[in-house]
Amino acid sequence: MAPHSPGTDQIDTLLWIGFVAATIVIVAINVALIYAVHCYRGSRGAEPRQIRGGRRTQFRAAAGLTVFAVAIFVVSVIYTGKARETPTTGPAGLASARSAPLKIETTGQQWLWRYDYPNEAFSYYKLVVPVDTTVELDLVSTDVIHTWDVPQLAGKRDAVPGKTNHVVFRADEEGVYHGQAATFSGQAYGAMRTEVDVVSPQEYEDFIKRQKTDIQAAQDRVVGLIEKGEVP
Amino acid sequence: MNGTSPEVVVDGFPRRRPRWIAIATSADHKDVGRVMIVGALGFLFIAVVELLLMRLQLAVPENSLLTPVTFNRMLSLYGATAIFLFAIPLAFGLFYYLAPLQVGARGTALPRLGQIGLWLYIAGATVLYAGFLFTPSEAGVNPLAPLSELAFLPNNGVDAWAAANGLATLGFVLIAINLVATLRRMRAPGMAWRRVPVFAWAAAICSWLMLVIGPVMLAAISMLLIDRNFDGIFFADGSGGAPLLWEHLSWIFYTGAYMLILITALGAIAEIIPVFAHKPLFNRAAVTGSLVAIAVIGTLAWMQNMLTSPIGIGWMYFAMVMSLALIVPFGLVIFNLIATMIGGTLQMRAPLLFSLGAISAISIGLGSEISHSMVAVAWRLHNTTDATAATHFALIGGSVFGGFAALHYWFPKLTGRTMGETLARLSFWTMAIGILVAFVPLFLAGTDHGQVVDAYKFFSGTGVSAENLIATIGTFILATGILLTLINAILSRTNGARAGHDQWGGNTLEWFALSPPEPHNFDVPPDVRSDQPMRDIREAIANRTRRDERAARETQPVA
Repeated sequence: MAPHSPGTDQIDTLLWIGFVAATIVIVAINVALIYAVHCYRGSRGAEPRQIRGGRRTQFRAAAGLTVFAVAIFVVSVIYTGKARETPTTGPAGLASARSAPLKIETTGQQWLWRYDYPNEAFSYYKLVVPVDTTVELDLVSTDVIHTWDVPQLAGKRDAVPGKTNHVVFRADEEGVYHGQAATFSGQAYGAMRTEVDVVSPQEYEDFIKRQKTDIQAAQDRVVGLIEKGEVP
Repeated sequence: MNGTSPEVVVDGFPRRRPRWIAIATSADHKDVGRVMIVGALGFLFIAVVELLLMRLQLAVPENSLLTPVTFNRMLSLYGATAIFLFAIPLAFGLFYYLAPLQVGARGTALPRLGQIGLWLYIAGATVLYAGFLFTPSEAGVNPLAPLSELAFLPNNGVDAWAAANGLATLGFVLIAINLVATLRRMRAPGMAWRRVPVFAWAAAICSWLMLVIGPVMLAAISMLLIDRNFDGIFFADGSGGAPLLWEHLSWIFYTGAYMLILITALGAIAEIIPVFAHKPLFNRAAVTGSLVAIAVIGTLAWMQNMLTSPIGIGWMYFAMVMSLALIVPFGLVIFNLIATMIGGTLQMRAPLLFSLGAISAISIGLGSEISHSMVAVAWRLHNTTDATAATHFALIGGSVFGGFAALHYWFPKLTGRTMGETLARLSFWTMAIGILVAFVPLFLAGTDHGQVVDAYKFFSGTGVSAENLIATIGTFILATGILLTLINAILSRTNGARAGHDQWGGNTLEWFALSPPEPHNFDVPPDVRSDQPMRDIREAIANRTRRDERAARETQPVA
């Protein structure tokens, strides 16, 4: 999965470092196991050497392991810090989001995501954002815990009822990105997906305008029906 | 207790009762431990069946073999069965049977408490599966509030889950109390802590660990039951409750249990490798000290499971410090286990084979966990099948491979018979192939395609179809291997080769007792002079035999 946001670039790099560290550990242990079994399989006449390790060997081993752990820690802190940085909106991005990120309230509910845009338009399932623009999703939940996860754009975050969590990303390319909710949330959890459409700023403006008029028209129609005494 | 005057062991002949009543009413640690081990292995079988059903559903994309509700019930039952009814009771069953023998005790300090513990475990298991009479839990492996609250799951499944695991956990806590008291007060003369076998150390560490994490889980479960049945608001948002509270409490327990399972396995392996390499453990103090460190640091790393939650970045770094710090004690234990083999003469019998498999599987699981503890990486990998695979490698490595190593090693002590070697080898290699084929594809699906955990289906076109099909096939291979060992145990129970009291030339005191041991364990409390008391006993017997032979020779008339 190619990263398409500055934050996921950093996550991707750190993921590779983690992969290398894990591989080193796994290969080292398993090679040592195979070596020991290969070389010291009991044979007739062989005498086991009754040796025990002294304290110094243990300290050396522990020191080596500590250095390894500290190195991973330092690298992780550096890259995690970079991944948390809020990028600034680029030249191709939405002009109104230059000074502060475009805030979109994102609500998890069983089993759908709702996105509320700044102009009071909203959409379900599909999030439309402008390209090259810093977007901040304020994650909330109305029922149980959900996790918003579109791995190409941002690290995943939980939407916990009663708390607000934040996801920040800046999509670098127009296109459609897919995601799936990542915390078990009941019956239809497996079908709780989302889609992020990254479009040009103009298309974004058109979308939220159209969305708002559509919603208004639908509301007016329902209100009209109720006033006429019909049950919609 | 250990004075010079002889103890009264039996007064009068005991009444003869049917065997099952005798076992069910016995407070003897060996009867209790044996029932727990048998129960745990039975639930291993059930957990495997549940896992297979879930894998069948996930064999092809958008499968409709199981309905979402059935899948979620299997998921919830699988989690509870694998952890509460298999892995933890297997650990405590082995500890309860063996640790008193290993420290030369002639019984336990609080036998009735342990017996109640066993019955609470059985009651918990019954309640969980009685859930089938109405509706089992649908709340997942860890029933995160508020999903587990009445508003979202109004049937009684979650209540059954909570009551079942609460009863079982209370049982483990009682057994842990007895083990702590026994290991503290009833060791044989000379059995200082520096001479206590590593597996008995593991028993003490895990018992203390259970005394810390068990009550946390019991508190969380009580709060959940109050929320659901008595209008409580502990975890209900909006009325002052905190959904994150359940996460904290339950993860403290689950993370501690994870460590408990690994400490048990490493403790058993640290007994097995020296015996089959004919060499003492490379450095005892380093291994036992590291196991203590794993229990403490590991449990403090509970927030590693919450790196995507709305908690401060400082807490995330705290979790990362703790989980990365685990590299040192885990690394040291594995270093010492491998160093013990270097220079030895390895006798590749089933217990050693399963031990090496366990180390290998645990290394894959823990190695992958390193990347899961790196905060930004967790934002990618958390709750993907990559996490599933890492957890399963570590815990199947610990509880199934490690548990089977212990089973093969101590089976002669438990039953007086040896497990069949051919079937054991066949089972081992099937399991080794199975675990790789089953879980390596899930690593790929999680890392490359972000497939999420616990979902009842995945969609075609997401690039994970092949991985999931292979994983399903692998799970069946793994299940076949597990089944072979269970069959082997059942067959060997009555038909295995008869074993002596010291089947493997072990160095610890359980091999001084008969196989299976008498109710009072030892006729004479053994006198312990080193950390290898059984070796001392063997040497003393050999010396005495030589002396007697020499004396006999010297008194012979010279021809």
